[in-house]
Amino acid sequence: MSRNAEPLLQESPPRPGGRAPHRGARGPAGGAGHAPSASGRRSRWVPYAFVGPAGLLFLGFSLVPIVIAVALSFQDTATLGEGEWVGAANYATMTSDPLLRTALLNTLVFTVGTVPTAMVVGLALAIALNRPLPGRAALRALFFVPMVAAGVVVGVIMSWIFNPDYGVANNALEALGLDGLPWLTSPRTAMLTLVLVVVWTRIGFCMVIYLGALQSIPSELREAAAIDGAGRWQRLRRLTVPMLAPTTSILLILNVVFSLQAFDVIYVMTGGGPGFSTTVLIQYVFRSAFADARMGYAAALGLLLTAVLLVFTLLRQHATKRAEDLL
Amino acid sequence: MDPQTPTRRRLSRRAFIAVAGISVAGALAACSGAPTTTKHLRLSSWNIPLDLESYQAIADEFVAAHPGTSVAVEVTTGQFHQWFISRLAADLAPDIIRITPQQIGRYAANGSLLDISGQVPADFQRDYSEAFWAIGAREDGLYGVFQHTDNFITYYDKKVVEQIGVDVPQSLDEAWRWDEFLEIAREARRITGGYGFGYGWGGPETAYRWLPIVYQAGGSFLGDDGATPSMDSEAAVRALEFGRSWYRDGLVSHANMSKSGGGAVARDLFLTGQIGLLLDNPESIAPLDEGRPDEWGTTYMIRDVGEASDLGGNALAVTKSTKHPELAAELVAHITSREKVVEFCRRGNWLPARSSLDAGDIGYERHAGTMQQFIDQATTIPLSMVRAESGEYFSSLNAVFADYLDLCFLGELTPAECGTQMTEAMRSVTER
Repeated sequence: MSRNAEPLLQESPPRPGGRAPHRGARGPAGGAGHAPSASGRRSRWVPYAFVGPAGLLFLGFSLVPIVIAVALSFQDTATLGEGEWVGAANYATMTSDPLLRTALLNTLVFTVGTVPTAMVVGLALAIALNRPLPGRAALRALFFVPMVAAGVVVGVIMSWIFNPDYGVANNALEALGLDGLPWLTSPRTAMLTLVLVVVWTRIGFCMVIYLGALQSIPSELREAAAIDGAGRWQRLRRLTVPMLAPTTSILLILNVVFSLQAFDVIYVMTGGGPGFSTTVLIQYVFRSAFADARMGYAAALGLLLTAVLLVFTLLRQHATKRAEDLL
Repeated sequence: MDPQTPTRRRLSRRAFIAVAGISVAGALAACSGAPTTTKHLRLSSWNIPLDLESYQAIADEFVAAHPGTSVAVEVTTGQFHQWFISRLAADLAPDIIRITPQQIGRYAANGSLLDISGQVPADFQRDYSEAFWAIGAREDGLYGVFQHTDNFITYYDKKVVEQIGVDVPQSLDEAWRWDEFLEIAREARRITGGYGFGYGWGGPETAYRWLPIVYQAGGSFLGDDGATPSMDSEAAVRALEFGRSWYRDGLVSHANMSKSGGGAVARDLFLTGQIGLLLDNPESIAPLDEGRPDEWGTTYMIRDVGEASDLGGNALAVTKSTKHPELAAELVAHITSREKVVEFCRRGNWLPARSSLDAGDIGYERHAGTMQQFIDQATTIPLSMVRAESGEYFSSLNAVFADYLDLCFLGELTPAECGTQMTEAMRSVTER
């Protein structure tokens, strides 16, 4: 929390020249030993009233399903519910499942491919579009549009673009005198193509978040650094990038979460193929649940995915705290 | 008037809460509805507008003949298994479900579908081939009635075939054998400058459409017991070798594969003149009519030592969520009656599952000759393939089939390795 921030729910004494506290608030004059008034008792419930609906939604749509998933992961069932309790058998299966190992490796490659690339390109775009440029607003909107498009739509369009026989990508390469590429049809290039597509959809998001953060850096700092003789690169490296650290850490975890959850584009474009070359963990969870009808195993895989996400979230929290302490 | 003076009475907080409470109570009372004796059924179908209209029209007739009933036709949304399993779990599945032969086995086996043998007229079975009746029939009952079918035949580019100078088969017996077909495909590739032919997969969930090739070779997906994986047999490996040669020899595009070639890649290649032949189902007729009218013809599916074609189509089944099982089964029997099958197939351009119906009986508005070819081709669908595809584990086995087919066709595994490893992976499913 920044130094000048006040706790939102703490009552402050009236300031000279300031507005009087509202009707229900009690000032210090209320004094100790007095029983709280009815309106005071009511006001204690106000925060809960605000939090309540969100809490109920979280309980119904997150906490309860998580508990059910944990229970399901210890069962053998083809449908939801009414399974046979099998102890830790599903977790034991995970240790010897070669397809899971492939899916985890592919997930790692996909995440490492998409996250840093999207963030670096997004930052570069944000820096470029943070300057007064003609058509800046239009360019910002243009780069953000892919983020708005539905994953399935992106997948279908990109499947056409990267079709080796009638796709725009190979036509463009051939127009330049180059050979076409088997973008999605070779195990060696399919993952790279997916990374390209996902980075394209995500750079707009990174750009917008970085733009907001860039605009919150006081211009006096940059001016002072310039007066002190810092060049453009030094200002970027020594001032802008450190000031963006909290944003970078949040973006990092968000992007990792997005990558771990990337399903629709991959499902539409490659179906996890050719072979197993683009089968990622979330796809394997889906396949185990609905194609293989192994709900218990899918729940165990889902919890593995949750655990991975939890690790990243804790790392992010740690990183954010460190960044804030540094600032 | 003093502008500071409010002109309207303010609604006090208590009054507001009272009004809101009364409104909510009223709304909840309205939602609960008055007790009714109307038996309501829900039928869910794929989102094909013509079919939805046909089902509703047939259902309306049924309702008219059954006072005190109502039927709503709904749309099956998203990925089928995900949609159906979640609704079954909530006991909110539709009363009647339109379901493919490849999907029905799992739900018939795990108790999600009801035995309707008591409500389906006994003479129905006589109008079905053994293979088509087996889609819904199990040892312990009847879990669905096959309503309509489709399969694969060969579409050809008239100009390409004319340039090759080959005669087009006029009967099932004359269908091109594999060797013959590969020669024609090589010529087609030379003429188009692209590829020889395309295969009508529609995404990873339709890998099974390649199974007819295994049966044409004399092989089978599962053994005679319908449970033992047999993709490592000599015939099955020969089929895999045949499939691999399609890609090795550049006869089929690598974009046209079971997993990564979803959508309508093969059809698009045919429409753009990059292939001269297309093995596909009746769904290609309308796009080809629109994109290349009068430039294409059809003949029978290729064959080898055996004949076989894809098992497409849908059955109707009653789910365990229904509150009116007998009425729902009666509606299934009504929709799959001979008269209603004719109506449904004419309107939606589907092939009838009933053996006694031909293209003349249906009265197709266009391409009656082609539709008759499809109907004739349907007789080549082997019973053992039907049993395999409508079996309990087929959706899992199909995923395995898609994986290994890809690996074989890409050259990552030899056909023999593929057969062995696929059989092993299948066994891990069937022995679960």
